[in-house]
Amino acid sequence: MRRSHLLATAAGLALACSPLAAHAQFAPAGSGGSPTAAVPGPGNANEPTESGPKEQSYFAGPSPYAPQAPGVNAANLPDIESIDPSEVPAMAPQQSANPAPGDWVAYGRDDHQTRYSPLSEITPENAGNLKVAFTYHTGSYPRPGQTNKWAAETTPIKVGDGLYMCSAMNDIMKLDPVTGKQIWRRNVDVKYHSIPYTAACKGVTYFTSSVVPEGQPCHNRLIEGTLDMRLIAVDAATGEFCPNFGHGGQVNLMQGLGESVPGFVSMTVPPPVVDGVVVVNHEVLDGQRRWAPSGVIRGYDAESGKFVWAWDVNNPTDHSQPTGNRHYSRGTPNSWAALTGDSALGLVYVPTGNSAADYYSALRSDAENKVSSAVVAIDVKTGEEKWVFQTAHKDVWDYDIGSQATLMDMPGPDGQPVPALIMPTKRGQTFVLDRRTGKPVLPVVERPAPSPGVIPGDPRTPTQPWSVGMPALRVPDLKETDMWGMSPIDQLFCRIKFRRANYVGEFTPPSVDKPWIEYPGYNGGSDWGSMSYDEKSGILIANWNITPMYDQLVTRKKADKLGLMPIDDPNFKPGGGGAEGNGAMDGTPYGIVVTPFWDQYTGMMCNRPPYGMITAIDMKHGQKVLWQHPLGTARANGPWGLPTGLPWEIGTPNNGGSVVTGGGLVFIAAATDNQIRAIDEHTGKVVWSAVLPGGGQANPMTYEANGHQYVAIMAGGHHFMMTPVSDQLVVYALPDAVK
Amino acid sequence: MPNINGTKTLTEWLTLLLGVVILLVGLIFVIMGADLAMLGGSVYYVICGIVLVASGVFMVMGRTLGAFLYLGALAYTWVWSLWEVGVSPIDLLPRAFGPTILGILVVLTIPVLRRLESRRTLRGAV
Repeated sequence: MRRSHLLATAAGLALACSPLAAHAQFAPAGSGGSPTAAVPGPGNANEPTESGPKEQSYFAGPSPYAPQAPGVNAANLPDIESIDPSEVPAMAPQQSANPAPGDWVAYGRDDHQTRYSPLSEITPENAGNLKVAFTYHTGSYPRPGQTNKWAAETTPIKVGDGLYMCSAMNDIMKLDPVTGKQIWRRNVDVKYHSIPYTAACKGVTYFTSSVVPEGQPCHNRLIEGTLDMRLIAVDAATGEFCPNFGHGGQVNLMQGLGESVPGFVSMTVPPPVVDGVVVVNHEVLDGQRRWAPSGVIRGYDAESGKFVWAWDVNNPTDHSQPTGNRHYSRGTPNSWAALTGDSALGLVYVPTGNSAADYYSALRSDAENKVSSAVVAIDVKTGEEKWVFQTAHKDVWDYDIGSQATLMDMPGPDGQPVPALIMPTKRGQTFVLDRRTGKPVLPVVERPAPSPGVIPGDPRTPTQPWSVGMPALRVPDLKETDMWGMSPIDQLFCRIKFRRANYVGEFTPPSVDKPWIEYPGYNGGSDWGSMSYDEKSGILIANWNITPMYDQLVTRKKADKLGLMPIDDPNFKPGGGGAEGNGAMDGTPYGIVVTPFWDQYTGMMCNRPPYGMITAIDMKHGQKVLWQHPLGTARANGPWGLPTGLPWEIGTPNNGGSVVTGGGLVFIAAATDNQIRAIDEHTGKVVWSAVLPGGGQANPMTYEANGHQYVAIMAGGHHFMMTPVSDQLVVYALPDAVK
Repeated sequence: MPNINGTKTLTEWLTLLLGVVILLVGLIFVIMGADLAMLGGSVYYVICGIVLVASGVFMVMGRTLGAFLYLGALAYTWVWSLWEVGVSPIDLLPRAFGPTILGILVVLTIPVLRRLESRRTLRGAV
């Protein structure tokens, strides 16, 4: 009797304490013991009232007019000369315009960036038999003593006999698509200190020259932008640098950007080639200083690497390269998403981000306010802006667009197809625009938004745009009863956290007196994984997040006390700031503290699950949701970061996109459960899943080689999503192919 | 044969421990729940917390009333949870799962508490 009592008690206690509740793993950037990770809370954003011993705010940073120090990023490459747009040679037909059925030629497979492949060997019926065909190690992962800033995010491309990819640190490889054997590798020697927020290389661009004859080196070439701001071209057959491109195959993209330090500006996406012009955008590290390097968009000749035009927001009529000690206008909105080219219209669609210092807008110019967090169509012949569609007005929520636009045809009012583009956003509002004019194809309405806000001199706009013709990829505004936890105590903790913050729904204005809740958060809605679109069935596949953030502005003195400094401050320590997390926002009156809206003691999100979803939308029949369900199981997540091992499809945060195939399948990893899965496109049923060696935070792709279909995913992991890092590309196929 | 010499058995110690746990949970509910109520949030926690504190105190005193107070608080918790979120397992999990596990343990302690009470009565009679 006594013994059974004891057992019952022990078992009961164990159950009560067991991590039954799964959660989302989510950590602030730079959480390597950073003392500044916590939001200071009500009334604490403006201490100390007296100055601290060290007035770090008076470190003004080098003058933006200072010449760039030698050796910064790519700065020891000589400058590149400019040519007139009329001198750009006519472009040869590109394979990406009409890929062979078994190929995957561009980041999103084709020029429309549909992420649709017609391959149909793998079907919902046989997907359960998929096996690993081969894995390939890129060799890029954090070495001892290096902070983990890795998230390879790579999508290989497959053209003819080659599978081409880059490592997280930009080395370029050609692999045999059947065996995974490395055919050549071009090391490009990117240094650790050049890693910005993340060591990522989403892919390389395949370009066929019209100048170099077939059979000569660099007739077919791969173009890549690097973390240290080089534009590189190598021969697709051998991996040798193209001698006639830039200086020995390389162009210095730091030219004209002015003062900077390594890791401040970087390229992580494959640049598209439109009408012979490679269009280059770059990421500028968020939250550092108001007068960060420019977010300029530039065009270079894909044959010679010479400069063709620039689109510089605050110099709208000057499309030339700055000379002398001039530089592109600083602090302008940067664009880090993959661009989409449109050779038919001669346009490139640029999803923009925010001006530097994301959470304070009073110092932005009218020109910046017009084009931030927007889609901007730029004429690739001149660098002129053709049209702008803004997805968030005067953004102070880090709603920069991470997704790539997908091109498609929508039925117009007169039955004629309208050339359209689909622009997913972090807000979960998906805009469908006419790509000739930027006008909405599906209705967009301006709805009242909280204004003017609370920060003196920085009013919010009275309205914000809502895409009412598309299903919103979000849940309703949060309520106290949405708070969650393992037990009533952590739920109570989150309820208090909720009540202590300012929150009036989406677009709650930033505040300094107490924290504010930002939902949708900066991880989306839709992030860089973008969407996949099956033109035949009209089904659009979208994966998205439900990850609110908990933010607070802090006064300059408080920011100094918290040790927030811009990356170019001599006292800057990695971990004390960085994109996506806390930032000094030097040059504005405030710093910013950002954390996930979570219980910082258990590491669990404060809101109820799901934290990640996948949705299929029927674009041909009134944009109805065909199916929608949580994405990602609790197997690798739990309180205190402990894996629960539970197969419960709770819906985890996800990063990375999907592929949709002619076989009627959707392939997607993305979730933090480190699995890849095949989902029936029409029913949403998961028909296959496999555990990856690392986090699958990358867009998968599929191709055919030797008569069989393969599915490839870079299981590189993601430091911010706290998934395991690996350097492995994993490729699956049916047993017939895997002999 | 009843244990009348006053030394406590393991189950009795565990019962007291459970009383202490409930008392602590009750105190957390009262303190944090008051904070929440003053911020305009739910008053459930502060009310439930007061009952839990009383329950814990009585259990530590070896009184069966403590267990019944806990079961009362548990019933209130279920009614409140269902009122707040309905029959939604994912939302009932943080609200009612842990308290129900504790409730099972509390039910198991009722015979122990009865024994403690009768012993006190016996001793009082001697």
